[in-house]
Amino acid sequence: MTDLLELFVQAAAKFGLNYGFLLDAYQRGSLVNGAITTIALCAFTIVGSLLAGLALAAMLTSGRPWFARPARVFIEVTRNTPTLVQLYCAFLVLNMLLTQAVGAANPLTPFAWVVIVISLHKGAFHAEALRAGIEAVPRVTLEAASSLAFSRRQLLWNVQLPLAMRFALPSLINNLIDLVKMTAVASAIAVGDITYASIMIWTQSDNVLELMILLLAFFGLLSFVVNCVGRALEAKLRMPGYGH
Amino acid sequence: MPSPETRVGQPLISLRDVHLSFGSNRVLKGIDLDVQRGQAVSIIGPSGSGKSTILRCITGLLPTERGSIRVGDTDVHALKSEAQRIELRKRVGFVFQQYNLFPHLSVLENLVIAPRKVLGETATNAEKHARELLAKVRMEHKADAYPGQLSGGQQQRVAIARALAMRPELILFDEVTSALDPETVGEVLTVIRELTEEGMTCVLVTHEMRFAEDISDVVYFTENGLIVEHGSPEHIFQRPTNERTQTFLRHALGDAGRRPVASGDPFLLSNISRYSLSV
Repeated sequence: MTDLLELFVQAAAKFGLNYGFLLDAYQRGSLVNGAITTIALCAFTIVGSLLAGLALAAMLTSGRPWFARPARVFIEVTRNTPTLVQLYCAFLVLNMLLTQAVGAANPLTPFAWVVIVISLHKGAFHAEALRAGIEAVPRVTLEAASSLAFSRRQLLWNVQLPLAMRFALPSLINNLIDLVKMTAVASAIAVGDITYASIMIWTQSDNVLELMILLLAFFGLLSFVVNCVGRALEAKLRMPGYGH
Repeated sequence: MPSPETRVGQPLISLRDVHLSFGSNRVLKGIDLDVQRGQAVSIIGPSGSGKSTILRCITGLLPTERGSIRVGDTDVHALKSEAQRIELRKRVGFVFQQYNLFPHLSVLENLVIAPRKVLGETATNAEKHARELLAKVRMEHKADAYPGQLSGGQQQRVAIARALAMRPELILFDEVTSALDPETVGEVLTVIRELTEEGMTCVLVTHEMRFAEDISDVVYFTENGLIVEHGSPEHIFQRPTNERTQTFLRHALGDAGRRPVASGDPFLLSNISRYSLSV
């Protein structure tokens, strides 16, 4: 492993890039930890945002104004303000108020705040994608299910959601790829993700370009994985005779 | 199967003075209709006269505003809860103009899903029954295909099999051949004809006049939300008494077809009235 690294460092040096810091156990360790933190952030926010999106979409399409109205207001506020500002507000204002109220018992770490804020932010986008999917299910298909004596719940789980999911999938994958890149805002409140780890290293040594390349490659790879999973899911759920 | 006469006192379906409006549009203005068990009843009439609406009211897909609908012992107009409507729909099959198969399920799954989820049949039984029904509509070779891969006529035959899979007491057919090309109409009508011959109670909304005349025990003619005339097929098609029925049938039964073929520009659609359009 270290042999490979040394080979890489030597090869990069020929292009004038100094990746020497990778051979330093401490700096390498903080980068690896940062990468793991970013992956964990992605995993938590992907699940969290999908749950938030599902809940919001359910409220939007419930047909009940006292569910749909608040969901609509929340979505408009959330998607029309910058994530970074939301994160600052949440961490610097809400978290401070919480700490004042309960003191050291405040269970919410900076990591948790990032998960919450991004989940809700992307959840708003998922909700709109899911709403589009739900509304794209032809009314007559639902009528057919009703005529077969399906209950509302059976209709929802066996016909409406499976179809809505297929219609919404490309948009959802789009949102998730954006979400992966969005986790970089965690560095703004000193969550030790890969961006924060990189900043810490380049403030001490002159290797900004090398770390930038590394960061871009890492996020590119992560997004690519999400993209591949999404495409595989689309292929698996494809309805023969629809699309191409 | 008991002959219709023996049960005349107790029709399977009975509509009395049924009214329904969509906003300010009065669609049904007092419909009276009876269907005896084992009968095939056709409802004909111009588009927008409320034919499909009548079928939707019978199975509770649309609520009535006034009047009564009875199916067997069920007072459809009085059904309040979802559970009661589900009990009704278990007994009433419905076949749609646009087939409305579930596009994400294979043909076999389309047939199996309702008996499994709604009637609680075992997977083995439901599948066995489904394959029998597919054979009946001559679609057994497409059990694993998806609706999107089938022609319109094939989809409609699967839709009929799907309705039959619930073992209904009666089936409502809503212009089931209107979306099909003339060649495939025949294959669907053959399946329906076989069902009526087996004694299945069928109510058909149709624009296929010859077919309606051929298979029906009773024919109803509707216009503007009212039953204008009803009676035996011979009565409606050979000796209609109402003037409006006469006009409609004159147009529907090939009068247009006898018009001289345009001798001029072949690209001019002068014979467009030969094609009956329905929405």
